[in-house]
Amino acid sequence: MKRNTLVLTLVLFIFATFAWAGWANFEYRKQTAERLLAQAARGELVVDAAGMPEYVSPLKGKPAPAFELEDLDGKKVSLADYKGKAVLVNFWATWCAPCKIETPWLVELRNQYAAQGFEILGVSTEGDGVGKDDKAAWDKDKVAIAHSAQQMHMQYPVLIDGDSIADQYGGLDELPMSFFLDRKGTVVAVQMGLTSKANIEGDIKKALGN
Amino acid sequence: MSTGLRAIAGFAIGLGTALALGQVDSASRSVLKGAAVEYMYPEQLTVTAGKATDVALHFRVAPGLHVNSHTPKDEFLIPTTFSIPDGLGVQLAAVTYPVGKDFTLPADPGNKLSVYTDEFVIQARVVATAGNHLIEAKLHFQACDKSICLPPKTIPVAIDVIGK
Repeated sequence: MKRNTLVLTLVLFIFATFAWAGWANFEYRKQTAERLLAQAARGELVVDAAGMPEYVSPLKGKPAPAFELEDLDGKKVSLADYKGKAVLVNFWATWCAPCKIETPWLVELRNQYAAQGFEILGVSTEGDGVGKDDKAAWDKDKVAIAHSAQQMHMQYPVLIDGDSIADQYGGLDELPMSFFLDRKGTVVAVQMGLTSKANIEGDIKKALGN
Repeated sequence: MSTGLRAIAGFAIGLGTALALGQVDSASRSVLKGAAVEYMYPEQLTVTAGKATDVALHFRVAPGLHVNSHTPKDEFLIPTTFSIPDGLGVQLAAVTYPVGKDFTLPADPGNKLSVYTDEFVIQARVVATAGNHLIEAKLHFQACDKSICLPPKTIPVAIDVIGK
């Protein structure tokens, strides 16, 4: 009887060890895959022919990574909903001072080009590691994002939890970051950091095919 | 126990351990970017046990970057804060942060930010129990340059506090 209990305990222990080992292996593979994905999409600053720094993204010329995020009302918004429109996916954060400088430009440009089939998706990327499981922190972030969006008169869709798609878009280690998509959803231009209203407008025209 | 069972148990334990070690090793080799802020000194501090002692903590901001001061001028900006976790034998009784320098982004000259650049010093008042405490305090900050911002970050501040 005693021997049977011992054997049973040992067998259970072995099963538990296998289960744990399988889980650890899965997590390891998942982390590796995410890291490789982020590295594959990560751009870099290079100096162009005129000696000016230029951000080169491997996503340029490729279909924009698909995503579905919630807006501030909790409604699911998918990038695919905007097929047929030129879209600027603008990653920003409440704590990002350069983002606050470019946002009024974005609002103006969106109003100017909306009739031609142009839309902006303002994707908040707080980078603070807060997930939905921490409800208090999540709600606090959401209030701050809503307040910030209201203060800056962001009349275009404001989406939350950009961090969840950061890997697909190259890690988003620097903000603001803007991806300009043509009507087919192909990335035609990428801008990292604060540039100028004229630069942004130029890439919007490129996305519209003007 | 049969030989077969012994072999299975040994294999399972060995496999589990190898995978766990592999995971730790992988995490430790994760990509680390250059630090925006670096803790400089002191690395060691000798204090009278149970008595409040003032210490000047020196930090360096990477060239070209700035971090918000402890009292940024915009409610949304993340202040620089220093903390010591509980239960390490060293208590943070008080902190005095330096006054931030005015800084304006070229694209928004009318708006002044309050920031730390180059080197800055935080005055901390600590109370330690007797003994040797290798503590890992924390500095939380958010860094930017003139056109980009990096996500908020917390760095460890390792200090060997000797309470005598």
